Amino acid sequence: MRPGFMLDHMFTRRHLAEYLDGELDARGRDRLRDHAHRCPSCHRLVATLVQMLDGLRGLGQAPPRTGSPISDSVIARLRDEPG
Amino acid sequence: MSAYVDGDAEEGRRPAEATAVARERNAAPPAPQRVRFDGVNAADLPPSGGSSNSPGSLADDELVGLAAAGRRDAFEELVRRHADHLYAVILRFTGEPGEAEEVVQEAFLRAWRGIDRFERRSQFFTWLYRIGLNEAKRRAGRRPPAEPLSVEEGALEQTTDFTHAPEPRAEQHDLREVLERAVRALPEGYRAPLILRDVEGLSTDHAAEIMGLKQAAFKSRLHRARLAVRDAVDAYLTGEDA
Repeated sequence: MRPGFMLDHMFTRRHLAEYLDGELDARGRDRLRDHAHRCPSCHRLVATLVQMLDGLRGLGQAPPRTGSPISDSVIARLRDEPG
Repeated sequence: MSAYVDGDAEEGRRPAEATAVARERNAAPPAPQRVRFDGVNAADLPPSGGSSNSPGSLADDELVGLAAAGRRDAFEELVRRHADHLYAVILRFTGEPGEAEEVVQEAFLRAWRGIDRFERRSQFFTWLYRIGLNEAKRRAGRRPPAEPLSVEEGALEQTTDFTHAPEPRAEQHDLREVLERAVRALPEGYRAPLILRDVEGLSTDHAAEIMGLKQAAFKSRLHRARLAVRDAVDAYLTGEDA
């Protein structure tokens, strides 16, 4: 095993959230990616998380509703409210 | 090596961040408040039919001021601006279109009834989302609990022995369904952070504010939620959920 492998492994796990949110500095990103290239489990973990985040963003872009705008039914209820 | 790792996670966020910024800009323009409406009579306010001061041309903050002074048309403009987006968030949370619509209606009704007490320390739609999510949670609490995904601490270490990395079998449509199911299976306190941050693309600051959480607590919940959903996705990709 490459010297420092376990330290890099722990670094990757500890800083994964920051990496995913783009909050890790350039040096940290390089270290994490370099480790992910060498470590199958970290590679798999990071790859599926990134794929998942892409998929979650896609959910937000889909039109969730057809028919009349939701604002119509809200405004209709509001107009029943005493002013 | 997969492009998922080679791809820059920061770069990858930019479209979502841009969307979030655009949404926030649309919902609450950063321009300083031009007119203070605190304590004025509705009769002194711009007429509802005026062109330059019609509700559609005003910032959220100004509309809130008008609504607090009794101008229903101003509040209706806030409804038009935010109802669709709130509905999308609540629908992700509940998974039931009819219930999501009821929650959105209830959220706006409560906001209208309480608009004169809204202190404007936060943006209108931050306040509105909080009302909506609280209402959705309240309703969810009346239902028998479903089998939730585990978000136990240490889940990360338990899910990392993937020396064999099979090719993903999911097509996008299938993955979408898996994600929808996994998000809905999260415990409530973890579902909302993931929806606000990763589906809706809000900033961490803003999403944490809506949740009423400090950043550290919000990030912790978000990370656990991501790992739980990721496990569900991974099980699907490897065929373990079949």
